[in-house]
Amino acid sequence: MKPAILSAAGLTLGYGGVPLVRDVAFELAPGDVFAVVGHNGSGKSTLIKTILGTLPAVSGQLNWPQGRPEPIAYLGQQTEFDRRFPIRVCDLAAMGAWSRLGLAGRIDAACKARIQAALERTGTAEIADMPLYKLSAGQLQRALFARTMVQNASLILLDEPFAAVDQTTEAALLSLIDEWAGEGRTLILVLHDLTAVLEHCTSALLVGDGRTRFGAPRQTLTPANLVALKYMSESQAAWIEAMYAKPVSAHV
Amino acid sequence: MPSRYLPMFEWLDYDFMVRALAATLVLSFSVAPVGAFLVLRRLSLAGEAMAHAIVPGIVIGFVVAGLSVGSMIVGGLSAGILVAVLTSLLARMTIIREDASLASLYLIALALGIFILSAAGSAVPLKSFLFGSILGIDDETLILIGATATITLVSFAVLLRPLIINTIDPVFYESQSKYPGLVTQWFMLLVVLNLLGAFKALGTLMAVGLMILPATAARYWVSTITSYLLLTFVFALASCWVGLIVSFYLPEVPSGPAIVLVAGVIFFISLVFAHQGFHVGARLKPSRRKTASDERENAKKGENAYEKTV
Repeated sequence: MKPAILSAAGLTLGYGGVPLVRDVAFELAPGDVFAVVGHNGSGKSTLIKTILGTLPAVSGQLNWPQGRPEPIAYLGQQTEFDRRFPIRVCDLAAMGAWSRLGLAGRIDAACKARIQAALERTGTAEIADMPLYKLSAGQLQRALFARTMVQNASLILLDEPFAAVDQTTEAALLSLIDEWAGEGRTLILVLHDLTAVLEHCTSALLVGDGRTRFGAPRQTLTPANLVALKYMSESQAAWIEAMYAKPVSAHV
Repeated sequence: MPSRYLPMFEWLDYDFMVRALAATLVLSFSVAPVGAFLVLRRLSLAGEAMAHAIVPGIVIGFVVAGLSVGSMIVGGLSAGILVAVLTSLLARMTIIREDASLASLYLIALALGIFILSAAGSAVPLKSFLFGSILGIDDETLILIGATATITLVSFAVLLRPLIINTIDPVFYESQSKYPGLVTQWFMLLVVLNLLGAFKALGTLMAVGLMILPATAARYWVSTITSYLLLTFVFALASCWVGLIVSFYLPEVPSGPAIVLVAGVIFFISLVFAHQGFHVGARLKPSRRKTASDERENAKKGENAYEKTV
């Protein structure tokens, strides 16, 4: 087993000192694809914010055995995103270099090459000069994946990255996630698509009812756990049983 | 007095006009980026409210410490900070949202300012205080405008990247920034500073017009941030100079409304003719600025991209 880069034990998460989730425990190694699954308001985004460092934990702390990586790539939900701002797709991708460039650093040839590679890999090179307001939801999400790629981080956090995109885009972006994991990057994904979790993730944290379960996706996201942690009702859990009957198709 | 210039340039004979033209040139450099980001950050109305909210601060400064740029800055800045803090406090601690608390506060502040100004029988004529006067631009005001422009342009040189990222994607910005609140607060300070700089030429009621109107008009024409900032500057400068000349020929008209009206004409011309105004507006749904042909073109590009990616 590879050495952990991030772990937690007995961590309590919440806002303003009010606990929302207690006793959070998990461990991540390089190359892990870590899914966070839970009902709305269960504390998934609270966990993401705590890992990003924008929200303090109520009690306990995160352990970074190899030091906190800098930068941590982050792609949040687009509720506050302003797509009327007058910039182009390539500028949006270039924003990923900001934490390294700072206030006045120059975008040099190497950086330009990385931006171009990210645009090509995400399929946005052809729309690189298009203003953001002309993009479809899928195109915007692929441009944001390009930005994430330009961040070139060892730890990548994606909060519901497929919330607004169609199946084709989701498949293309999932293959990109597999590729990043193959490069030894660690990914933390908030996902609602359980099929994607089973096929692409190496570990999962189920959050709900103020509690958590951590482990391999198939052992964690069991129908019994999903019902116990209020992710779905018993009747909804029935089709999960059918899904588990199918063989695993992807990497793991 | 015979003019040294052609008849239509006779206003160049007058020192106060040359002064006003120079002052507004520098002022345009300064208010253009501030106005552009007020519009981009959807703070146009907050800027308007702020302009009125700092009036009592200035008036109290004038009454207590006399008519000087120093008393105007101290009074204006303290009132601006007080109103900003009160607004966010009210929004956080009561059920009333930020816009309503800001509107309430600025109406009270404006009334209070005019009340004190009239009651104290100040030496400032109310009309030029509210609407500006090209005669009011003295050496002190020139220095204030120059200092404001210097501070603003240096700030933008340093803060442009974080400000852009913070405006487009505040959640991403917060995740990547060590001092997330700093940029927003510094920007609001620049807004107040530029309002103070614009007060003499445009008056307290009209100052914010020079920020918002050129920036809104320019937004109809451009799709990149650099061209947007440049065009906002050009529109602001044109409004000032044409407005001042109008005000020169019609001495009864204060300079503020003349400048803002010219900006208004530019705004309506842009609205009607620009490709992001009514030019395409008729073919767009108001909620999604996208045409059917864009949609098809995008879909085609998207498909090609998938073939390459997958």
